[in-house]
Amino acid sequence: MGKQATEMLKGTLEGIVLALLSGRAAYGYEITAWLRDQGFTDIAEGTIYALLIRAEQRGLVDVEKVPSEKGPPRKVYTLNARGQEYLNEFWRTWSFLSERLEQLREGGR
Amino acid sequence: MWIEKIVGDLGDKKRYREYRERVRQLPDGYREAALALERYLLHLGPSNDGSSLIAMVTDLADLLEQSVAAGTPLRDVVGADPVEFAEEFMQNYGGGSWIRKERDRLATAIDRAEAEERR
Repeated sequence: MGKQATEMLKGTLEGIVLALLSGRAAYGYEITAWLRDQGFTDIAEGTIYALLIRAEQRGLVDVEKVPSEKGPPRKVYTLNARGQEYLNEFWRTWSFLSERLEQLREGGR
Repeated sequence: MWIEKIVGDLGDKKRYREYRERVRQLPDGYREAALALERYLLHLGPSNDGSSLIAMVTDLADLLEQSVAAGTPLRDVVGADPVEFAEEFMQNYGGGSWIRKERDRLATAIDRAEAEERR
């Protein structure tokens, strides 16, 4: 993944993670692993962790602490109603942005 | 120690000591990373809010312990640019520091200047 892709991804990462959580509950490490599988290889575990802390503080996700065999308990995240609303807004913004960019590429205005 | 000047509350002190102990238990590389991150976070992060500070370092300990358990290499935890990670992480916690005060001062100054302009 190039530098430009990393930069572009930053603004959309929150939406990507929330979209992922709308499908199923997950803990931080699972989310990072999934992103890496999808080719987002430069994503740091810490970045996702910080993002999840923020989503939790803003009340977009519900959190359940689940004991793990090794290490501290895992925080499992699920998208709640408020998070779903936020995600809908993200997709509207994304549609707007991608349509405009596509128009630019085609030379229109 | 200088941290005690910042963390005044006794309960906070206890929790801060628990955090130090958790860091001490980490494998070498992770422990070094924890100390380096802590130095940066305590210099630039919430300096006048003990509970925010404790929440911050406790979350940091959680992340590093989880990473050890999952076998995540250090570079994959902090990323190519550790400063970027630290800054993003720090934003989750309230409280003031000299840098935040300066940012507020700049924003306020521009607000005032804008009001002058419209007069």
